[in-house]
Amino acid sequence: MNAQLRQLLVSAGGIVGAILIWQFVATVPMAGGPLPPFSATFTELTQLLASGEFWSSLADTILISLLGLGSAAVIGVVLGILIGSFDPFRYATLAVLEFLKPIPPIVILPLVVLIYGPTTQMAWFLVFFGCVLPIIMQTVAGVHDADPVTLDTARSYGMGRTEVLARVTLPSAMPFIGTAMRVAAPAALVITVVAGLLGGGPGLGRSIYQAQAGGDYPSLYAYVLVLGMLGLIFQGVSRLAERRTLHWHASYREVLPA
Amino acid sequence: MAEANVSSDATVRLRVDGLAKSYGTGDKAKVVIEDLTFTVNAGEMVCIVGPSGVGKTTLLKCLAGLQPATRGQASIDGRTISGPPPEMALVFQDYNRSLMPWLTVRKNLMLPLRHLRLPAAEAKERCDSALEAVGLSHAEHQYPWQLSGGMQQRVAIARALAYRPEILIMDEPFASVDAQTRFDLEDLCLKIRQDFGMTILVVTHDIDEAVYLSDRVVVLGSKPAKVLKIVDVDLPAPRDQITTRSLPEFARQRTDVLSLIKRPA
Ligand SMILES: Nc1ncnc2c1ncn2[C@@H]1O[C@H](COP(=O)(O)OP(=O)(O)O)[C@@H](O)[C@H]1O
Ligand SMILES: [Mg+2]
Repeated sequence: MNAQLRQLLVSAGGIVGAILIWQFVATVPMAGGPLPPFSATFTELTQLLASGEFWSSLADTILISLLGLGSAAVIGVVLGILIGSFDPFRYATLAVLEFLKPIPPIVILPLVVLIYGPTTQMAWFLVFFGCVLPIIMQTVAGVHDADPVTLDTARSYGMGRTEVLARVTLPSAMPFIGTAMRVAAPAALVITVVAGLLGGGPGLGRSIYQAQAGGDYPSLYAYVLVLGMLGLIFQGVSRLAERRTLHWHASYREVLPA
Repeated sequence: MAEANVSSDATVRLRVDGLAKSYGTGDKAKVVIEDLTFTVNAGEMVCIVGPSGVGKTTLLKCLAGLQPATRGQASIDGRTISGPPPEMALVFQDYNRSLMPWLTVRKNLMLPLRHLRLPAAEAKERCDSALEAVGLSHAEHQYPWQLSGGMQQRVAIARALAYRPEILIMDEPFASVDAQTRFDLEDLCLKIRQDFGMTILVVTHDIDEAVYLSDRVVVLGSKPAKVLKIVDVDLPAPRDQITTRSLPEFARQRTDVLSLIKRPA
């Protein structure tokens, strides 16, 4: 408990230190430059919190990230299980997936904007594209990692093919899927912002773009602060969710002190 | 000599007939089982003994319909086994890999019952009585990995019991438990045969255990595997760890089996 408290204090000290450095850099060496001091950014932030526009922009960002992440999770896991379990699926998709894997979502952004315009669908598709491939790949790896003895056990008790997939293969692959989701959650947020910043999609990305275009630097950095905190929340929630669903896995098992 | 022991009795439940199994094909084929023939009668307890690596697990996987035989066949009540038979349950040698780590003990027992579509009350009753039979009622909400090896093995046995198979097959079920637990599990085995009238086939490499448990011992040997002999064990029932094991007859039977295994094939 004491050690925990000390750790917390040190962390808080780190944050305060970073803020002080920001304040110093913005007011002394770079005074009058484009970087607003923390104080001005913070004032701007409090004003933002009172505006309805800010909240709807925040809601857009969260909604698009979650929609993209959720659809990528559902489709990625289903495809991953099929590809991992049935060889014809694997041979049919392998080349295409390997080709798409190294393409970052930003590369296809112009094309997607051309098709959908600066809309929610555009941003959603981009998030989906960026998240689904790693989820498929990890699910396939998880399926291959399933213990043959566990699978034989299920078969020996007369469980059918779909039942084995749903009740044994899927849970066996969960540790891999969990890792993929933990990485994908913050990525979904980043891609949503990029879709707004560069593609004009709704949300905080577009707000940042507009603040920059209008030369409103305090408000630009206030948005950046909000994004930073949102990122922390995404990461925290996905970690917690992973820990919750995988409490049984060797890496999370609670070992009681002797 | 194996043929001499094939009973033409109408009560034969499980028949293994000229069964052979190789892994791989062509030049790389590895013949594990050459030619096995034996039968198990209804309600009988039969042990299979043989050195490790002889192909006991391979045989059981064929019997459980998990892999096809290369030649010959196994059948239940005259029906050739081509997939997992519904009246059979198999307790695996690797019990810790056979239990699902994401499910509690009770849910591990429930899992195979799902597709039987039993009324909830009956499924619950089966789990309760199976857990009680192995003395693990108190551990139903724990996860397998929170239990000792012997307890995990008992969970795997309880799962098979809850399934209420007519034929129970166990692969070295007591190999990794301490002596005391081992005696308890052996007696549990005798008790479930009595209580549920099951036909039980147990693989073991422990000759004393085989003689103590069985009505007949199938001795496997040589590579690829063959039946060296089928030994009838006539020890009085009910068997008891202390009195049965101290009978002169027990010593004679185990010496019989041991000399078969010791002799180079
Ligand atoms: N899937 C497999 N592929 C190839 N060889 C195997 C396979 N399974 C078992 N074997 C081999 O078959 C032999 C018998 O194995 P096993 O049936 O596990 O023996 P036992 O259970 O009697 O110890 C061993 O030499 C083992 O290496
Ligand atoms: Mg074995």
